Amino acid sequence: MKMLCVFSVTDRLKYIGHLDLMRAMQRALRRSGLPIRFSQGFNPHILLSFAAPLSVGMEGMREVMEIPIEGDVSPEMFVEILNQSLPALIRCQSARLVEDSSPAPMSQLWAANFSILPLEYQDEIMAAVPVLLSKTSIPAMRKSKKGMVEIDLRPLIHNVLVKDNSIQALLALHSSGTCKPDLFIKALSQCAGLEAPVPCKVTRKALYTQQFSPLEDM
Amino acid sequence: MDEKTLAAIDRLLPQVEKPARYIGGEMNADIKERAKETAAFAFCFPDSYEVAMSHLGMKILYHILNKQPDMLCERVMMPWVDMSDLLKKEGIPLFSLESRTALYDFDVVGFTLQYEMSFTNVLEMLSLGGIPVLSAQRGEEMPIVIAGGPCAFNPEPLACFIDAFVMGDAEKAIVEVTRLIKRMRLENKPRKDILLALSQIEGCYVPSLYEVTYHEDGTLSSFKPTNDQAPSKIRKRLELDLEHLDYPDAIPVPFTEIVHDRVSLEIMRGCTRGCRFCQAGMLYRPVRERSPERLVELAQKLIKATGYEEMSLSSLSSGDYGQLAELIRELMLRFADKKVSLSLPSMRVDSLLKESLEQVREVKKSGLTLAPEAATQRLRDVINKGISEEDIRRSVSDAFQSGWSSVKLYFMNGLPTETEEDLIAYGDMARLVIDAYHQVPKGQRSPGLRISLSSSTFVPKAFTPFQWDAQDTLETIKHKQKILRDVLKIKGVSFNWSEPELSHLEACIARGDRRMGKVIYRAWQLGCKMDGWREFFKYDLWMQAFEDCHLDPAFYANRERAGDEILPWDFVDIGVTKKYLWLERERSLLGIVTPDCRNGCDGCGLTRFEGACVS
Repeated sequence: MKMLCVFSVTDRLKYIGHLDLMRAMQRALRRSGLPIRFSQGFNPHILLSFAAPLSVGMEGMREVMEIPIEGDVSPEMFVEILNQSLPALIRCQSARLVEDSSPAPMSQLWAANFSILPLEYQDEIMAAVPVLLSKTSIPAMRKSKKGMVEIDLRPLIHNVLVKDNSIQALLALHSSGTCKPDLFIKALSQCAGLEAPVPCKVTRKALYTQQFSPLEDM
Repeated sequence: MDEKTLAAIDRLLPQVEKPARYIGGEMNADIKERAKETAAFAFCFPDSYEVAMSHLGMKILYHILNKQPDMLCERVMMPWVDMSDLLKKEGIPLFSLESRTALYDFDVVGFTLQYEMSFTNVLEMLSLGGIPVLSAQRGEEMPIVIAGGPCAFNPEPLACFIDAFVMGDAEKAIVEVTRLIKRMRLENKPRKDILLALSQIEGCYVPSLYEVTYHEDGTLSSFKPTNDQAPSKIRKRLELDLEHLDYPDAIPVPFTEIVHDRVSLEIMRGCTRGCRFCQAGMLYRPVRERSPERLVELAQKLIKATGYEEMSLSSLSSGDYGQLAELIRELMLRFADKKVSLSLPSMRVDSLLKESLEQVREVKKSGLTLAPEAATQRLRDVINKGISEEDIRRSVSDAFQSGWSSVKLYFMNGLPTETEEDLIAYGDMARLVIDAYHQVPKGQRSPGLRISLSSSTFVPKAFTPFQWDAQDTLETIKHKQKILRDVLKIKGVSFNWSEPELSHLEACIARGDRRMGKVIYRAWQLGCKMDGWREFFKYDLWMQAFEDCHLDPAFYANRERAGDEILPWDFVDIGVTKKYLWLERERSLLGIVTPDCRNGCDGCGLTRFEGACVS
């Protein structure tokens, strides 16, 4: 069986990298004494599978990972014990048992919802949102393995809401197309007539499937 | 710190290369509430987070201080260059990892001195932390700045920056010192009274209470206290009962990768082998062991609390631990199913047990590391490294038969009496290892033999039999390294050597006197910091600093001292006497080997310490 877990990484821990987070999870699981399945081979490790790496500097509120387990443990117990072993700023919120044959969360991921809080030029940025969305195409340059490539962001922006001082953006996040929040902010800043991208506090609020249902319920 | 500064820190972090160095929040990091009566201790490590978090001493003292109900200890490390530039630019003081408290806001600021080339970082951290760099310029409200660690045994180069040094085992001393400082600060006692009170604690040296005079030739003519309460000799702190000494049962687990990312278990302290170049061997006598039962108990707690997948046994000479085979067997038994691997550093060539080797391999096979230090028997006798060629042959043979295929050999070039013959013999040593490998049948040995030889330049250190000796000049070092490179052009053998300029400067500071402080100060003003990192080391600026201070580096590094010269560190009693060190030096020149004193007392002087060396 596998345990499909929802967890958060907040506050200062937004500055640890993806590999750091993987290592922290591995060690928390080792500390916990939970019935985890290790890989075979010379350096046995836990085959953790994360839905999507979190960028350095970004908090994640409902991240999803999968942990192979062996033996009996209820999801409620799993969450409770894991939380005792995790650093205070990483919290496991819920878990669900799934079959080994069920698809990996990464393969079901389609989009993510971001909360974007501009730290400067708030009014200009908010005013630029409808302008940006009215465009039929938004060309942008993205780093790829082959160097810089031009992509169109417009079809990758699924929905944008302006609420108080923050922007809620539902952006594509899958192998055939991804709109990273920094590209979105850059395009928005350009729309507002600003030369440099505005510094923003970005939080990844939730991950979704192609049906736009929460990834953890897939 | 106020909200505005905290927010400013948050804006800086995304701009630096590795923000995870500055965030704390690791598993087992302690965040304690600070009351008015709480003694707040900033444990400062003058190097990067990755180096600092690999250091065992810091973890021991962090644990002990935080265990005291009336104290708290937070960590502060030397920020990487990108971060220190930003802190200066934004006017944000250097802060602790745990609660982001500014350095100047602690009661005690304590540095651990592991390496001479981190001394400019001490100055930089004080300055970044809003504390006047010079001891004499610190106001009443400023923290008391203390320092310990191996480099504190010759404290004079840092005498004008550090308020008080603590010498020797610090487990108990650090608590006494911290408690005394806090009590007197709560009573609003003036700084000078606190310092005088500190000088009454055993192992504590307050440099401002002493005066040094010099002869015309630059050597010391006198060193004496200016206050009749200050002791004329400082005796190191010695904790004899390691078994009952506090040891952490949980340590912070870094998020980001560090140099030694594992549990390290200190199985014993001290070494009685008596290698004549080794400062730690003299400083940390006598040998004190923890029992296998205590170690197994600690190991289990530490693995449970950290989730680490690797553990190392740590000491100056782990192969000499009395019940090594039993300890390893017991640890393997407990950890086999927990997937924890065991590594044994500092293994001495002649104490490798074939049995332990095979056991270690069961869990994880890493390279074999040996430290013959010198390539000829004659020179090994001079430095009292009691290893024969046969020992080395047997060790590598055993290792190859057990399936290892990678060997690292550590040497030192520039040892006293070294000749060209000793250098050419490096090649013979490499060939000996290659032969031993080929003597194991093809099916039995692991493929892909890798031999790496490293030679560091010998730096004569205080409190060793070579403390009177001259280091080779830069020119000679470079010439010798060239010979070594030529000799070691052998297929399958890689050769590394240390940067000669760095070793030269290390030699100047390691045996520096009080005037060396001026050079360090000047070098720091000129922009020297992170000197231990090749990319930041600025030799030219250091040479300019010497010139500006009218001091000659050769006086410190390349001069042979006379037997009756007052050495800057003579006032420190480490247990081993100056007389004994001189005797060892004479034996060395005659090529006479001194056996391990476990087989009979050699009269080094340590028995003067009550309870030491009693079996």
